[in-house]
Amino acid sequence: MTRRIRLKFFLVSAAALALCFFWGYAGLPAFGHGSSIYADIVNAISVPQRHITDAVTAVNFDIRGFDTLGEEFILFTSVLGVILLMRRTKDEPAGDHEDKAPGRKVPPVSDAVRVIALLLLAPTIVFGWYIVVHGQVTPGGGFQGGVILSSAPLLLYLCGSYPKVRGAAAPRLIEIAEALGAAGYIVIGGACVALGGMFLENLLPLGKAGTLTSGGMVPFINLGVGLEVSGGFTLILLVYLEELMEEKES
Amino acid sequence: MRLLPVLPVVVPLITAAALAVLTKLLPRAWSALIAIASTIATAAAAALLLRDSLQQPIVYWFGNWKPNGRMALGISFAIDPIGAGLATFAAVLTAAALVFGSKYFDSVENHFHALILCFLGAMCGFSLTGDMFNLFVFFELMSAAAFALCAYKTEDPGALQGALNFAVTNTIGAYFVLTGIGLLYARTGALNMAQMSEALASHPADKLVLVAFAFISCGYLVKAAVVPFHFWLADAHAVAPSPVCVLFSGVMVEMGLYAVARIYWAVFNQTLHADIASLRILVVSIGAATAVLAAIMCFSQRNLKRLLAFSTISHVGLMTIGVGLFTAGGLAGAAIYTLGHGLVKGGLFLAAGMLLHRFSTVDELDLHGRGRSEKWAGFVFFAGAIGLAGLPPSGVSAGDDLIHEAARAIGYHWVRWISFFAAIITSAAVLRAACRVFFGWGPRREEQPGGAPKTQESRETDRSQQRTPMTMIAPAVALVVAGMFLNFTPRLKRIATQSATEFQNSEAYSARVLRAAPKRTPTAPAPAPENPLFGISAFACAALGAACYLFSKSFRSTSRWITRPLSVLHGLHSGHVGDYVAFLTFGIAAFGLVCVLCLR
Repeated sequence: MTRRIRLKFFLVSAAALALCFFWGYAGLPAFGHGSSIYADIVNAISVPQRHITDAVTAVNFDIRGFDTLGEEFILFTSVLGVILLMRRTKDEPAGDHEDKAPGRKVPPVSDAVRVIALLLLAPTIVFGWYIVVHGQVTPGGGFQGGVILSSAPLLLYLCGSYPKVRGAAAPRLIEIAEALGAAGYIVIGGACVALGGMFLENLLPLGKAGTLTSGGMVPFINLGVGLEVSGGFTLILLVYLEELMEEKES
Repeated sequence: MRLLPVLPVVVPLITAAALAVLTKLLPRAWSALIAIASTIATAAAAALLLRDSLQQPIVYWFGNWKPNGRMALGISFAIDPIGAGLATFAAVLTAAALVFGSKYFDSVENHFHALILCFLGAMCGFSLTGDMFNLFVFFELMSAAAFALCAYKTEDPGALQGALNFAVTNTIGAYFVLTGIGLLYARTGALNMAQMSEALASHPADKLVLVAFAFISCGYLVKAAVVPFHFWLADAHAVAPSPVCVLFSGVMVEMGLYAVARIYWAVFNQTLHADIASLRILVVSIGAATAVLAAIMCFSQRNLKRLLAFSTISHVGLMTIGVGLFTAGGLAGAAIYTLGHGLVKGGLFLAAGMLLHRFSTVDELDLHGRGRSEKWAGFVFFAGAIGLAGLPPSGVSAGDDLIHEAARAIGYHWVRWISFFAAIITSAAVLRAACRVFFGWGPRREEQPGGAPKTQESRETDRSQQRTPMTMIAPAVALVVAGMFLNFTPRLKRIATQSATEFQNSEAYSARVLRAAPKRTPTAPAPAPENPLFGISAFACAALGAACYLFSKSFRSTSRWITRPLSVLHGLHSGHVGDYVAFLTFGIAAFGLVCVLCLR
């Protein structure tokens, strides 16, 4: 198809599709009236039955915890995919991937950026872990905290250099941590069966609502997810940095 | 029973996590062995579930969030023989693909095994779940693994383009599935299929429900590669490694069709049942168009993997007809057809992989007469042609038979002729290619009408190409032989019909999931004895067609009158992802308009 025909064909189809969307969305409850039975029940039970004050976490890690296991493995698989796709094949020469845009010099990182990045590094790590472990109390948890944690190596890159990041990040250890985090979810689920419940049945003591130790198995799952997510994103970061910033000396 | 239903999902996934770390430490043979062992364990667990679910379908509530007659909050697996059978079949094909791949890639350390295992875990979860959103989660996991596996040969720019087309079209499909789920959730407040079904049953379907049905069905039909959503499949199969093609063609594509059947019968049947006649026309005509169009495309391919890919699309069209008849016989036929076709097609793709290993090409003309030394690959190709034509006792013949019977029962006599046409053309295409490659019959490149430019293919193997190892031959032969003799016992058809009847009993499904009601045993009618004439005549016609094409110059030149329409058809399969998205938009819009305007 030529560009014109394709565009016309698409626009006509898209107009018809827009009509479908209109019919579908017109049937939705009016704004402000969309309370769902499901949400009402979850709101009613998450604190009394599960001692979890963040209802979203109660859904994600307890009531529908198995979905989240799948989601975690989507991330895990995607990271494997990125590593696979970005690998250097034998024919491709190593080295010299410096920015070669014509007539443009890569400006050095200014001292102000270095200082700010360095100052932010420790608070970022602390804040990341804080979000990971407080998932059952306030909005947050392993996914959000993991992403915050994985911005730490990016800050390190800003205030140092790629070799420093690579040295500090220890890719092998991160790979292991990522895999452990992913496998941990399944191990916790299996442990529930070993304790006499169903897979991912929350059998641990539920603790006092609103505290760090509440929620039974939920904080443990969040720790695993935090490891997996921060490890996964760090690996992706390393792969991209490797591609872009091949060390000259090696 | 507290652990078994979860095993087909978690065994491959946890092995994948372990292998992601261990592959660099272990010798290659070890990681292949671990992956194969894990796959066999998965197959065993799924087979146990199949055995148990034949006695009594299994409902498993994760986290023990049983509804006990109230609102279903948690996620359930609702395991019946068709779902468990599909999971078992996925594991068996994966085992064959892994055995074949064990000496195949030079760079297996790049997470090949881990990705295949994630793919398997996703397919098992997809077949077993009874939850609408969980189905989508496993759909996404399956896609993420499949995109990466498709682009495995990253040094080949074609691989990236094929995988990109695959990823773009399927992600758009996933978007529509999610939109549809969102609409249904807004209406019903539920995510469990049985719960949705009961909530929908109380009101007649309005536009929202119909649009949701159209969006979810089309999203999954993109994976099933029916016309006009089929474009990505040939591109993806042409570039994916051969063992991966086995899984794509043999079971992943059929998963899309399974999902459509599942959501219709588990969620929409009670509210849409009055419109079943119109729905039948819609889905059966989509299937028929797919079967015919792809068969024509199939015969006109010279790249063996593309040829097999179009043959898959054509056969999926026939399975779509089976599902779209909306009767137990049709669904049972589609289920057996899936097994029969998956086994034969898996064997054929592995044989193509053997040729690629030896000769670094899968171009039929480049291979002219060179396959004489590859006796086993030749055997698989000829046996595959017989299997695809539906010669008894192949699985395809049993599936065909059930579908024809079901179609006749509701007055769709013409389905038989569509099926006959597709069987002849796809079988003739494989026969023609096999005769050219393994016997050196037919015209060479120079004598090919219309000129035939060379195609480029990147190698998948690095090792000595002097011989084909046993680990490649054995799985290919095993698959194709299993496919040819699948229907050795009449019990298969009876069990399939019984299971399909149960699959389609929506009220019993909801009662089972939500209230743990005991199973009602519906009695399936005993399937009629098979008529071997269909398969035999289809194969004879296919052989005749292939012979005419190979030996008769006048046949080839008279067949030029179809060259022009054919070139238009080829032009549509441009490889341009924009074209594919345009057709996708058209298809979803058309499906949606038909649903909203004609059902009600």
